[in-house]
Amino acid sequence: METANENIRQLMEMLDNPDAYTEQQIQNIINHDEDTRETYRLMVEAKRSSRHRQNKELVNVDAAWQRFNQKFQPKQSSSNWMKIAASFIGVLLVSGIAFAAIHIVRQYQKQETPQTEISENATPPVTTLPADTLTKDTVTVQPVIYDNIPLEKMLPEIAAHYDVKVVFANDVARGLRFHFVWNPQKGIDQIISDLNQFERLSATLKDNQITVE
Amino acid sequence: MLDKRILENCDSSSANQARLELAERKQFIEQLFRRNYSKMIHLASVLLGDDEEAEDVVQDVFLRVADSDIPPKKDNYLLTAVRNACLNRIRQMHLHDKVKRLMPLEDDSALQPIDKRMKRLDDIATYVDEQLEEPHRSIFHLRFDDDLTVSEIARRLGLNPNTTYKYLMQSIQQIRHHFGKH
Repeated sequence: METANENIRQLMEMLDNPDAYTEQQIQNIINHDEDTRETYRLMVEAKRSSRHRQNKELVNVDAAWQRFNQKFQPKQSSSNWMKIAASFIGVLLVSGIAFAAIHIVRQYQKQETPQTEISENATPPVTTLPADTLTKDTVTVQPVIYDNIPLEKMLPEIAAHYDVKVVFANDVARGLRFHFVWNPQKGIDQIISDLNQFERLSATLKDNQITVE
Repeated sequence: MLDKRILENCDSSSANQARLELAERKQFIEQLFRRNYSKMIHLASVLLGDDEEAEDVVQDVFLRVADSDIPPKKDNYLLTAVRNACLNRIRQMHLHDKVKRLMPLEDDSALQPIDKRMKRLDDIATYVDEQLEEPHRSIFHLRFDDDLTVSEIARRLGLNPNTTYKYLMQSIQQIRHHFGKH
């Protein structure tokens, strides 16, 4: 117990003056044991909680818009952006560009794991997976190619981008493997719509949850 | 400038059409901005702890949205984009900057729903104000609200530095214990 307290005391001393420590020393102190790591995590949350509480005053949105407006010039859209905005839900758009290579490879392939691994590790032409989740999750123009990836792996990663959960009501669907080109600029409804092009798959979105049957 | 250049290249009827589209598009972005800016800037400020950087992230998200041919379907998408942009910035920070600003060293909880994370931050703030006793509460606020070191807090409150360390540790353990159970 005394040692645990010493570790946490050392953590706090380091946080008071990080410049006196090398990167290795900092890592060693924070990762000394799970207790110290957890204490650091809690301190991160405490700091965020403090900012959360302090930053609750009203924001001057007008001033912010003026600052943004100085940088912002909308580009001319060849695809009539506003029409897309207005008819986003009604139109079932299976884009030949972003959705060119979709097909089910096979339904039950778990027994062929070695072959799958090779395929998953092959270098796709644009952005490969498993990509860094956070980098992938940002607003990006880069499409992400899922090459022979099971739905149970692919869909949660896509869903995380839109901050929605995934529930598999049908275990068979978990093993479905896809060549799927995901464009993160597409809305989640469009992604659901694209997935529902497959006869063996039914995906619905409700209350921030995708249910796959 | 861009608008002018585009319009110069069009005949008059298509120029009118282009002008209309640009105006509609700008209006759409403005509405999106006004509807979501407060939440977005708050989230970015909480995650990054730097107002200028937070504004930079939010503006960048809107610039990308404006530059995209497909508008975001749901406003929540913007918050997710802000969160992810912030987490990417944190990941790119040097270790010393991370610990100075009390940033996470790993992304393990990065994909928790944003509303749950904010609720937890609310809960922690409430717990500190309602459950910590003095001088623990003051020490906690001086450390995390005002970024004072333990020595500075000790001087400010007229306490022994060792005692101040002990109280701060007790507060953190108490919060950990409480939220570990919930």
